Amino acid sequence: MNGSPITTWEGAEAVFTFADNPTAIMIILILSAIGCFGAILYGGKHEAEAYKAKIPE
Amino acid sequence: MEQQLAELTERLAALEASHGMAGTINMEIFYWWCTGLMVIIHAGFLAYEMGASRAKNVLASGIKNILAFAFIIPTFFFFGWYIYLAFPNGFIPSSDGEFGVPWSEYMGPNLADNATGVFWAAFTLFAATTASIFSGAVIERIRVASFILLAILLGSAVWILGASWGWHPTGWLTAQFGYHDVGAAGVVHMIAGFYALGVLINLGPRVGKFNPDGTANDLPAHNVPFTIFGLMLIIVGFFGFLGGCIIYVNGDQWVNIYGQPATLSAFAFNTLMGFSGGIIGAWVCTRDPFWMMSGALIGIFSAAAGLDIYYPPLAFLLGLFGGFVVPITAKWLERMGIDDAVGAFPVHGIGGLIGVVGVGVFASGYPNVEGFPPISLYGQLVGAVVMAALGFIPGYLASALLKGLGILRVPDDVQIRGLDKTKVPVRAYPEGSIGGGVMPAE
Repeated sequence: MNGSPITTWEGAEAVFTFADNPTAIMIILILSAIGCFGAILYGGKHEAEAYKAKIPE
Repeated sequence: MEQQLAELTERLAALEASHGMAGTINMEIFYWWCTGLMVIIHAGFLAYEMGASRAKNVLASGIKNILAFAFIIPTFFFFGWYIYLAFPNGFIPSSDGEFGVPWSEYMGPNLADNATGVFWAAFTLFAATTASIFSGAVIERIRVASFILLAILLGSAVWILGASWGWHPTGWLTAQFGYHDVGAAGVVHMIAGFYALGVLINLGPRVGKFNPDGTANDLPAHNVPFTIFGLMLIIVGFFGFLGGCIIYVNGDQWVNIYGQPATLSAFAFNTLMGFSGGIIGAWVCTRDPFWMMSGALIGIFSAAAGLDIYYPPLAFLLGLFGGFVVPITAKWLERMGIDDAVGAFPVHGIGGLIGVVGVGVFASGYPNVEGFPPISLYGQLVGAVVMAALGFIPGYLASALLKGLGILRVPDDVQIRGLDKTKVPVRAYPEGSIGGGVMPAE
């Protein structure tokens, strides 16, 4: 995947991957937010299940 | 008027010289403190490795770890720095090696050279890091003398040869394939992880790790909190490590190891985002704090090769992926009958592999310096294969030789009794509050 926004380093400024592709940036941003907040939901679900489960002493 | 001009010219020259010297000293100070921070990596590995050992072996593990650090330093002086400078073209030495031979005028105090000492020191600490990565994998059953020889081979020869090929401004991997690995995902982590795997195959598991039917027993760490704390120390030290991966240019923009423009800000964004992604990914996968902190490392390695160019949420996603996947590969390794006591191969070998290939997948097309090819998936895959082979083959062959000589593995009865009781003159826990019990399979 060609993620480079530049073809030369001369005069380059924003050089991060897909800096020239707002759609790709938005997709990556949304996926990372899903990963971040989805993990909290998943962790909360597991925690609730663990508290409900009967754990032998 | 002419006299005033002459005075001004003289003052300007003095000012330029002073400014240049200030820049030189700033550079020297920067790498000095990067090296100091990297020592914390070793404090972390020491805590991590001792915590991961059973109580009966805790000091023997500490001794082994400390000795790896100690022996890397002189051997890296004797031949490590020479290898880096001499072999960027492959196996045929270049004339640049003469600057790194231990009798060179640059390999000691020299008032005309502020750079060699601090760069040598930083690279020596990178070398010691590779040896410490390997050290954790083989705890509780490797003989110390053989371990030291294997650590020297890895730290002062093998990884630095890989660095000369793929982490050098004119290394053949970047010159011919556009290989890009700014944070050493391949040259440090893959090489060390695959080297550990090669040794583990010959070394065999700890007594009691596997049952006769091949199922694995848990040999619990005697101090998990100490291990977790050690992992966090390693991460603190990695800020020195990664700082040492960027080149301070007096009076101009930073450049990465390949001479392409870069910023420390880029490293700051992506190191932290990879770090957090790795923790979260490992938390979702395991909910185990040992793996969560290992996940932090995995996240950094998964983003390491492209720290200078990634969009930070992409570094987070790579870390998330690495943190989730690597603990699964650790389980797979155990099912294959390999006893990697701290997960060195999955964390460093696979984490580094994700890092190297990730650049090819997401960052193809970035230009190189004049005359060298751009980043490509093909170039990254070539680099990954080279790094894996360069780690695995010497590790496997050297350990096979030591095994053949009968000097690789601690005898089983000594493993059962405990290494500390057998050869360490002091006790870790004199009160006897922590026992070194025998596992069921022993």
